[in-house]
Amino acid sequence: MLKRILIANRGEIALRIVRAARSLGVETVVAASAADRDGLAAQEATRAVVIGPAPARASYLDARLVVHAALATGCDGLHPGYGFLSERAALARLCEEEGIAFVGPAAASIEAVGDKLAARRLAKTAGVPMTPGSGKLDCASDAVAFAAAVGYPVVTKASAGGGGRGMVIARDAKALAEGFERAAAEAKDAFGDGTLYVERYVERARHVEVQAMGLGDGRVLHFGERDCSLQRRYQKMVEEAPAAVLSDGSRARLHRAAVDLLGSINYRNVGTVEFLYDVERDDFYFMEVNARIQVEHPVSEMIAGVDLVRMQIEIAGGEPIGDRQEDVALSGHAIEVRVIAEDPAQGFRPSPGRISLWRPPSGEGVRLDSAMFEGATIPPYYDSMIAKLIVHGSDRQTAVARLQQALAGFAVEGVATNIPFLRAMAAHPDFRANRLDTRWLETQFMPSYGRA
Amino acid sequence: MTEIKPQDIEAVIESFDSSSWSEMRLKISGLELFLSKDPSARAPEGTHAAARVAPIAAPHADSAPLHSTHATAAPRLKPAPHPVEAKGGASDVPESWIAVRAPNLGTFYRAPKPGAPPYVAVGQRVEPTTEVCLIEVMKLFTSVPAGVAGFVRKVLVEDAELVEFDQPLFLIEPA
Repeated sequence: MLKRILIANRGEIALRIVRAARSLGVETVVAASAADRDGLAAQEATRAVVIGPAPARASYLDARLVVHAALATGCDGLHPGYGFLSERAALARLCEEEGIAFVGPAAASIEAVGDKLAARRLAKTAGVPMTPGSGKLDCASDAVAFAAAVGYPVVTKASAGGGGRGMVIARDAKALAEGFERAAAEAKDAFGDGTLYVERYVERARHVEVQAMGLGDGRVLHFGERDCSLQRRYQKMVEEAPAAVLSDGSRARLHRAAVDLLGSINYRNVGTVEFLYDVERDDFYFMEVNARIQVEHPVSEMIAGVDLVRMQIEIAGGEPIGDRQEDVALSGHAIEVRVIAEDPAQGFRPSPGRISLWRPPSGEGVRLDSAMFEGATIPPYYDSMIAKLIVHGSDRQTAVARLQQALAGFAVEGVATNIPFLRAMAAHPDFRANRLDTRWLETQFMPSYGRA
Repeated sequence: MTEIKPQDIEAVIESFDSSSWSEMRLKISGLELFLSKDPSARAPEGTHAAARVAPIAAPHADSAPLHSTHATAAPRLKPAPHPVEAKGGASDVPESWIAVRAPNLGTFYRAPKPGAPPYVAVGQRVEPTTEVCLIEVMKLFTSVPAGVAGFVRKVLVEDAELVEFDQPLFLIEPA
């Protein structure tokens, strides 16, 4: 078992890791920026060190700084959380070189799945279904030739990263030729690499993903799938488990595909395999692998009754995990909503500041992952998510009712939040009936929001 | 501006808090307010040291309500334990002395290499560009300049010790 881990992150996930480690008797050192020195994670940790100033590039994004902090404070493990350095193979490698257990996949695995084209090759080899897609494209005319073969619509994607950068949907050759240059420039701007590939575009899609855990001995367990179709600008806002839309057959094939893919590289520690589910064809295509604990992991924990962060720390410390797939029992339905300090009435503008009133909901089947409290300050330097509200019920209908109740009782003052937006969304007939796809939030719900 | 209410002070603290400024000194009609994001910062000379109570926000005024403002502005403004206090040397430090601070977390070295004489000794005169120590991060050594002309009065950190961002390393008496 690890003795002491350094937590190279902030906010709710840093606090989540501190508590999971504590439950295992593992000490924690939180590496905080100057803006987070008084945060809840820093307070609850065994120790906190201030590694640098508030801007992330001089603190949370400096791999050498966090590894130095780990070595100097006697840590034998390092948990990167999500975001920041969590999927930088360089950090995992630096830890490996310094004899620190990286609480995540091996550097080689992060590399193997980190580049999207490399990940697609890997998935193909493992027999995972793919959307018809091109390889790297040099110019717009190659893209047009490819699209002519597979049929429109198609979408351009950046080879080096996601988040919607470099993505242009084209319904004909003219739009593709025009959009290609724009997408390449955008990708170059965002990732320093303008390389694009093109895929068939699915009109009505669900974002589904499988929560997996590689045990490091060749076995890969899964904890069911999630449906994360409600997104704004490719940022997830609501996540559910299970994906109620799937047929039992599709669900079993989806789990199999994820386990096969990660098993093929002897994947160790936590990972998520993302798929696009084609509602009309009842078929799914591989999208990408996230080699980190994800923001939405709690919904899987709620239906599987496991603590994934705790398991991560155990695996990184070399603890044998006895669980077999047949021991993983999934029950009920869980929904998570991301509570963000942003103002839906002002174009979702971030709203940092001091929380003057903080009254989160509680009760049966309600979980809140947050590092906020009354009097806490939301610094302007980082992501503005302030809490994850998670509800669990025996079925989706019960979970939705609990979500509505919990949101109704969630009071925050001092900063604007998206809670009113989430309330309206949770009350919408389409949401309650699960008549959703990846574009519902932006094209159906948002235009009607605020007009009712 | 005849009367400054506690809410006004709180508003100033909040704006300061969310700004990228690191220090602010405000003087209006009998009120003097010194704000710093560094818990070990001291109000400049002339501002009386309410810093003992709350190092980050150290207002100085005759009116009592300021103290209650402090109480409601917690917890971010709570005094954090800090090496200077821990060494118990802060109380006899003249307010005019200036701290040389760590630019980031790292290991503090007083000399360019093991066995070599230290960059600076207590009592030595330094110029703003004089190198006073090294901070090492994963074998990468960065030298730290004094940043001010004067005399080295105190060395606050032991050689080869881990220092955090913004931690005071030396005290310099400006001259």
